[in-house]
Amino acid sequence: MNYGVYIHIPFCRKKCFYCDFPSFAGKEKYMEDYVAALCREITMQGALLPGKAVTVYIGGGTPTTLPLKLLEKIIVQLRASFEIVNDNEFTIEVNPGTVTLAILERLHELGVNRLSIGVQSFNDNLLQRIGRVHTADTARYAVLMARQAGFANVSIDLMYGLPGQTLTILEESVMQAFELDLQHISIYGLQVEEDTVFFRQRDMGKLDLPDEDQVEQMYDYMVYVLPKHGYARYEISNFARPGFASRHNMSYWQNVPYVGLGAAAHSYYNGHRLANLQDISAYIAKLQKGEAVSFEEEIITSEISMEEFCFLALRTTKGIDKAAFSAAFHCMIESVYSDVIAAMKSKGLLVDEGGWIHLTPLGMKYGNIVFEAFLL
Amino acid sequence: MQTKNIRNFSIIAHIDHGKSTIADRLIEYTGTLSKREMEAQVLDTMDLERERGITIKAQTVRLDYTGEDGELYELNLIDTPGHVDFTYEVSRSLAACEGALLVVDAAQGVEAQTLANVYMALEHNLEIIPVINKIDLPNADPEKVKQEIEDVIGLDTSDAVFASAKAGIGIKEILDKVVEKVPAPSGDDNKPLTALIFDSYFDPYKGVIAHIRVMDGCIKKGMMLRMMATGKNFEVTDVGCFKPAPVNMEKLSAGQVGFVAGSLKNVKDVRVGDTVTSMENPAAKALEGYRGVNPMVYCGLYPVDSADYDNLKDALEKLQLNDAALVFEPETSMALGFGYRCGFLGLLHMDVVQERLEREYDLRLITTAPSVIYHVHKTNGEMLKIDNPSKLPPATEVEFIEEPYVKATVIVPNDYVGAVMEISQEKRGEFKNMDYLDVNRVMITYHIPLSEIIYDYFDRLKSATRGYASLDYELVDYKQSKLVKLDILLNAEPVDALSIIVHTERAAARGRQLAAKLKEIIPQQMFEIPIQAAVGSKIIARENVRAMRKDVLAKCYGGDISRKRKLLEKQKEGKKRMKSVGNVEVPQEAFMAILKID
Repeated sequence: MNYGVYIHIPFCRKKCFYCDFPSFAGKEKYMEDYVAALCREITMQGALLPGKAVTVYIGGGTPTTLPLKLLEKIIVQLRASFEIVNDNEFTIEVNPGTVTLAILERLHELGVNRLSIGVQSFNDNLLQRIGRVHTADTARYAVLMARQAGFANVSIDLMYGLPGQTLTILEESVMQAFELDLQHISIYGLQVEEDTVFFRQRDMGKLDLPDEDQVEQMYDYMVYVLPKHGYARYEISNFARPGFASRHNMSYWQNVPYVGLGAAAHSYYNGHRLANLQDISAYIAKLQKGEAVSFEEEIITSEISMEEFCFLALRTTKGIDKAAFSAAFHCMIESVYSDVIAAMKSKGLLVDEGGWIHLTPLGMKYGNIVFEAFLL
Repeated sequence: MQTKNIRNFSIIAHIDHGKSTIADRLIEYTGTLSKREMEAQVLDTMDLERERGITIKAQTVRLDYTGEDGELYELNLIDTPGHVDFTYEVSRSLAACEGALLVVDAAQGVEAQTLANVYMALEHNLEIIPVINKIDLPNADPEKVKQEIEDVIGLDTSDAVFASAKAGIGIKEILDKVVEKVPAPSGDDNKPLTALIFDSYFDPYKGVIAHIRVMDGCIKKGMMLRMMATGKNFEVTDVGCFKPAPVNMEKLSAGQVGFVAGSLKNVKDVRVGDTVTSMENPAAKALEGYRGVNPMVYCGLYPVDSADYDNLKDALEKLQLNDAALVFEPETSMALGFGYRCGFLGLLHMDVVQERLEREYDLRLITTAPSVIYHVHKTNGEMLKIDNPSKLPPATEVEFIEEPYVKATVIVPNDYVGAVMEISQEKRGEFKNMDYLDVNRVMITYHIPLSEIIYDYFDRLKSATRGYASLDYELVDYKQSKLVKLDILLNAEPVDALSIIVHTERAAARGRQLAAKLKEIIPQQMFEIPIQAAVGSKIIARENVRAMRKDVLAKCYGGDISRKRKLLEKQKEGKKRMKSVGNVEVPQEAFMAILKID
């Protein structure tokens, strides 16, 4: 079995206003114990799982809030417990302002070959408004340092639909991104989630979100301008130069197994979806006793498996490989979904051609309507 | 049992004034059921009744009680439905009694509905025993309530019982007063049989069981009987009384209350208010007061999933076994497909039926806005009874339209008189009367179109009077009104199920409100949806549901597919409650939007 490995670092210097991920500021005192526990989980899982890791992704939170020696410990343990193929993709998420050239160089030495930098915007006012800890200059500097440290595969995240953001501000940010000669850009439309600062601000009527029309314009602009500058869309929110689509990212959409390590991480292998405990102290305590930290999230019936195969694959521009569907489920996709496919085609959301079923540009916009239709 | 030792009585009370609890205590005290056998509320048997604290079906129980004089008495308690929708049923239950307990909450005082029922009891010459309940409440003022009963109703309250059913206070006194005050029934075993049907229910093994009060004559097993109004003949297979489970007896004699069962398969043959007589020696005249079932409110019921059509029919038929007041017939809507037009006694009845269909039969339904029956006089002299707005003939063929008016009686503290009058006026009410019940309670009477009552009159009253208003109404007559049909168009297509009939002067405002409400209810879709309100070909209001700009989840944090899936499932669940009308997805509640306008 070849699989991806995801490692979760639930620490950050400050919680961003839009973030509802399992990540916490002010819990530095747990870092040491957490990494020890994580290493233990890595050892246990590594011994359990046959096969090889093709991709590794260390995300968070902000992995680089950990002291370098702890990060080193994790990577060393990972290499000791898992067999990682030579031609791997090894990504770490980085926040501008949390890294130095020395840290990046060391990470590169340890075999990390891809950086995902959380830039979000190159507008200082906006960065402050959404609770980021860095400025536009720091972000640019992080990208330059990455290159200097030897990284040939650098990605940034950009957000749109932010409070106070206009199309012009977004355009400026995108143009600045283009100057940095990146390999990969992810775009995220703001969703105001419960238990975030933005959610409370919206409740109090203090969140100046752009209206739907403006957000749509921003979206339209992004999906137009990125390909024009050489970043092809390969998934709803991901764009890359040729050959730089994130392999780890794709594994989520392509039914490839992945192993999640660390608090709140998710795994998918042998037909099971598992979730790890979210609570950091509980996670540490369990592992100190050598107990398992994951629990089955749902039993994947063949029905669920089919649904997921489809709605995940549809997120990619290539879409569903009909032959792969037949191979996986021993039936033609039409025998299950012919009505759905016809209905979605008639709405102009789906195309069925050359053995693949994929979203139209309109379908990308209204993805949820299509995904939902594929639920049986 | 000698007739002189029989007492037939019912309990009159406003919702929540403690009727069921008192009934429970009486059953307990007389040892009819042991405490262990009692459910919390024996007489309200349907879950729904218990939840809502109301009685929908009348229940009967025979209590054997040894009085102060050492004699054994047979006390028949007939529990009456406690809601304005069931006025006729209440009147038949009262007609089966010689006395009634008037239960009034010691903190709340007399309410409009209590009053209406008391007057009805007085019309039937019942001996009324005031019971002031909940005297143990901290804010109870039994003396004041006692005075109020004297002032408002004009009853002598020197014999009133102070009670707390909850605390078991005054229960024996109630029983003794019933024995002492309620007259024994008059009636002659040797006269031709007349027995009043005041309720019925369907038993899967025995067929329809009629609740009856024998006026004259007697009923024995094996007799051949006849329903005088429906003409149905049947042989008596079982006769008996309720304790509260049915117990077979040899016979029911004049003055007694109980049940009779026979080869009765259809609840429609057993009408409340009908007279049972014997075929061999029939009575010359039926008992007075029989009235056929007259639904006052109609609405369309449609399955969300058209495959459920037959299930809906089965469910309605089953409910009808126990509910002669429920009528239905197939109906087709351009927008909603195949369904049923159903008639109800009132809004509560409608609510209850709808809820039972969804709960007990697991049906997902779309209910269209309730309508009253309009008398539409056409230019060709023909008169149509229209219970569905979409069936209204074109304006050119209509000479005039009449609509039902009710006499609405509202009781409020005098601080709220202005509010009540304002709302009633706005609802096209005609002021009739105003009486001070005491220094700070006022009874106001209006004649108001029933259609206004079923919209939101009571809700408005409640909120404008901080919940103090109580309402009772009864149909008075049909009156000519300037009415028009208001149509709603979605995406330029008229949706028949959204049509309503409104007063001409209010059409524009209603149209605007309804369009605005629908805009709130109908979710954004991939395209813009114009909502128009029209009278004839004239568009009087327009709103737009803007097109959804985009709908796609971007993030997928760390492979958390389950979360994504849950979001999609939630979205799909929401869609299940929607009906495709043309190419627009319309949520269930849109069809009731007219009721939610403020």
